[in-house]
Amino acid sequence: MSRQQERPDEQSETLTFEQASWVDPDGDRYEPLLSEKGSETVEVDSELPDDLTRDSLELPNPSEPELARHYTRLSEMNYGVESGPFPLGSCTMKYNPKFTEDLAARADASIHPDRSERSTQGTLGLLHELQTYLGDIGGMDAVTLQPPAGAAGEFTGILVAKSYHEANGDERSEVIIPESAHGTNFATAAMAGYDVVSLPSNEAGRVDTEALEAALSEETAALMLTNPNTLGLFERDIEEIAEMVHDVGGILYYDGANLNALLGRARPGDMGFDVMHYNVHKTFATPHGGGGPGAGPVGVTEELREFLPDPHVRATDTGYETHTPDNSIGKVHGYDGNWLVLLKAHAYITRLGDAGLADASAKAVLNANYLAEQIDYEIPFGPFHHEFVASAGEQDAADAAKRMLDFGVHPPTTKWPEIVPEALMTEPTEIESKRTLDQLAAAFNAASASDTDTIEHAPSRTAAGRIDQTSAARNPRLSWQALDDEE
Amino acid sequence: MSGSPYAPHTASETTAMLDAIGVDSEEALFDIPESVRFDGEFGIDAKSEQAARRAVASTLADNDDLTEFLGRGHYDHYVPSVVDHLADRSEFITSYTQYQPEVAQGFLQALFEYQSMLVELTGLEVANCSMYDAATALGEAATLAERLRSISGTRVLVPDLLHEGRRGVLDNYVAGSDLTVETYPTADGNVDREALTEQVDETTAMVYAENPTVRGTIEEGLDTVGDLADEHDALFTLGTDIVALALLEEPASVGADVVVGDGSALGLGSAYGFGLGLFACRGDRELLRQVPGRLVGASEDSDDRRAYTLTLQTREQHIRRERATSNICSNQAWVALRTAMHVASLGPDGLVELANDSVRRARETAGRLDELTGVQAPVHDRHHFREFVARVDQPAEAIAADLEAEGYAVHAVGDHEIQVCVTEANEQALDGFVAAVSEVVR
Amino acid sequence: MSFDIDTDCRYLESHEWVRPDGDTARIGITDFAQDELGDVVFVELPSEGDDVTRDAEFGVVESIKAVSDLYAPVSGEVVAVNERLFDEPELVNDDPFGDGWMLEVAYEESDFDGLLTAKEYRDQTE
Ligand SMILES: Cc1ncc(COP(=O)(O)O)c(C=O)c1O
Repeated sequence: MSRQQERPDEQSETLTFEQASWVDPDGDRYEPLLSEKGSETVEVDSELPDDLTRDSLELPNPSEPELARHYTRLSEMNYGVESGPFPLGSCTMKYNPKFTEDLAARADASIHPDRSERSTQGTLGLLHELQTYLGDIGGMDAVTLQPPAGAAGEFTGILVAKSYHEANGDERSEVIIPESAHGTNFATAAMAGYDVVSLPSNEAGRVDTEALEAALSEETAALMLTNPNTLGLFERDIEEIAEMVHDVGGILYYDGANLNALLGRARPGDMGFDVMHYNVHKTFATPHGGGGPGAGPVGVTEELREFLPDPHVRATDTGYETHTPDNSIGKVHGYDGNWLVLLKAHAYITRLGDAGLADASAKAVLNANYLAEQIDYEIPFGPFHHEFVASAGEQDAADAAKRMLDFGVHPPTTKWPEIVPEALMTEPTEIESKRTLDQLAAAFNAASASDTDTIEHAPSRTAAGRIDQTSAARNPRLSWQALDDEE
Repeated sequence: MSGSPYAPHTASETTAMLDAIGVDSEEALFDIPESVRFDGEFGIDAKSEQAARRAVASTLADNDDLTEFLGRGHYDHYVPSVVDHLADRSEFITSYTQYQPEVAQGFLQALFEYQSMLVELTGLEVANCSMYDAATALGEAATLAERLRSISGTRVLVPDLLHEGRRGVLDNYVAGSDLTVETYPTADGNVDREALTEQVDETTAMVYAENPTVRGTIEEGLDTVGDLADEHDALFTLGTDIVALALLEEPASVGADVVVGDGSALGLGSAYGFGLGLFACRGDRELLRQVPGRLVGASEDSDDRRAYTLTLQTREQHIRRERATSNICSNQAWVALRTAMHVASLGPDGLVELANDSVRRARETAGRLDELTGVQAPVHDRHHFREFVARVDQPAEAIAADLEAEGYAVHAVGDHEIQVCVTEANEQALDGFVAAVSEVVR
Repeated sequence: MSFDIDTDCRYLESHEWVRPDGDTARIGITDFAQDELGDVVFVELPSEGDDVTRDAEFGVVESIKAVSDLYAPVSGEVVAVNERLFDEPELVNDDPFGDGWMLEVAYEESDFDGLLTAKEYRDQTE
């Protein structure tokens, strides 16, 4: 059985999109669980003494053809960037070039992390090149590639700030974060042992410098900012902000989630940021993989270089080597991070070069502004760059998003940042054509024109209908064993 | 000037779009003060796909072609082609976190199945759908211990032989908490239970042990460690890997409260340390609310049909912010997908056989090396899994370097100790390897 | 929209109610609060024998998308906990002043000073 998408407007040339689903004869499940397709229990027999081994193991045992069908069917019930537009704000859902996958699949890319430096000059060379590229792109003096995601990059950066203060004999207790920031910023500061001081925005949706002045003190370890911020607005006072933070001896941290707005036009390092992370699974087109893996390299100024994680790659007269920076914070990943992701980011940057990177940002900003022009929802803050935050107004943003699913597009991020009521945070990225943006706008507008009853009951054309979140949370069933227990 | 090859705009479309917006250039859309504008260059020349591919590949080719006998917590098992092909389906790899479950049922179900496999393998009730790697999963376990009301102390006890990467990450994860990390001694590779008994008391928050250990030995009597932790209201966290779980004592049956470790031993090759962190724990109410990371749960859709969704999200950073159980957001979902595929492709028979082979290969290889003059193997009088430590008369660094010249990589783990790991990925090279060792140890 | 208010209760601005009954008092959250939260999926409460302190956090109530701290309207020892809420958190939505109660606390009369009356609370929510 397959469900077909409704057209937002029969007149417009909208994609029709089919999302497959399979229903069992009893009508109550889609593609059966692997366990339902057949499991087997084996008695564990071994040369080891019995008391060192388990007794038995029960797992599914599909044949290879069955396995292939299972996952193919599952994939057909999943929406990716290649299924259609994916304007999920703050996530930078770009097309992921195929050739980067081919490079990651090479045998010489799959080596063990404990090999000697002399036998891994290729890997070290690519890592070093990527460090250099990212340093140049962000205006940073030194870059570590170890953090395995953006949040891990934040943690690394805040630990660097902490070590820097400690090296100055300075115990500080607070990290300042704008209210509109991403949840990871707050969680990271807490993980590093800091109290969070939350900073309100001003009426223009930017950092309120008076409130910042009031929040800053000798206790300020760092201010974490995104620029453009989560509303897509450039913090025009950034130099003044940097000066204010530096005046109290604090570190200015840049959350690189929104770097796709600035490539080749402005660099965090030039704005006065001391530490930044890059989200390569956003800006540099590595696939999000259904929630990861990403990579969150961290760049720092010269002054902070000595605190970078261990090991750090550097060039020698004859090649590359790793070393432990003098005052290293130590490790943030068991080895050297998400190498294959870094490799794909390197390949992407190599392919685009200066011109391609600058054009990616130009088109990302063009697309966001063009799309914004076409949609009926109000957009309270501007001028925005690669993303904008519309308000669903009287509608519940989450419901409006569900309605958009009926038109075969992925909806924007909803209900964040909270400064916009019923937020629809929208980031089309540079990969969409004018035609696709028109179709996407038609989906927005059709959702906007839908009545409450319709959006509350949406979606109706997807593999699954609206899913009951309350039941999932009240009665957690987190494994097929839990489902069996229920029966 | 060429543009991004992945931006589809023609010049006339760009003009039409600018007209619609009401500006005359792309530059006019950037609200960036002049003083922070960048007008320099990165100096990276754009390349055709073919040239870019060649450039990266030619640098990669500077890696020597070695046969690796390396492990110590990160393993290379043969990954069937079917895993690569299925996991690379673009609907999977190009999708995002499942914030819209109605169009993400496929990935959610695959992650639910992954969680279920871990529940079976660990005997614990709950598994999340990934941490970055084994080291960060261990760090998360420690901070979990601190959050639990039923756990009293602040000392985290880890074996003296803990892998340096895991220890380093753990130290950083506890840096913002009241926890301190201490080591307890090992005896002949395994937990020194007497010494540990002396060290565990009411001030202990967590006891961590590994099976197999970083030196490849298989633990005996982990249940006493479980009892010890239990008596003193400490969390017992067990580190392991996805293959070992199929054979060694079930973590739940030795009293483990939490299981962490490496999942990428299946599903991903060596990948230079790129991994997958396992995280499973008991399912009681207190723990469930404190689990870090993402959880997929079953629910029903509007037609009352079974459906899957991310759940218990109030634990996570996007809702609970500074009081979240962890800052993790992007994780290793796609690696978890691969690992689940690999487990399913092996089935229970194949997985147990692979685990049994890991015991046999370590034993046989140690036996062969032990016959050589200048080598005693294994150093530890224990059962081994995949790998073992061997004593060499010559300095270990020199042996490792000489072996590398012969095309083989091993760990030098002590002045006169090398460590050797054997899987189906390098087994075919074993004769040559043993011959090379016999040459270089003399 | 109008919300139920129990005139036998006194209130905190943060939407907890307390209803005296002999030496003990019951504590819960208001109809207004449960409506703001949406479907309650989890309630975390102290154990019997624990002490709670006026205006201090004593637990957490969670819906799908929000987490709220619970503040104690009075100080005292917890003498009973509504354990039904652990399996049936929906009682907080269905009957916030009745079966959805949370704690029973041995309190001091003087604790009621400064708590909102039903009328004051109603004025606050309107
Ligand atoms: C603004 C912002 N900061 C930080 C992050 C965290 O990045 P990651 O998911 O890679 O940990 C995100 C991504 O979701 C983000 O949008």
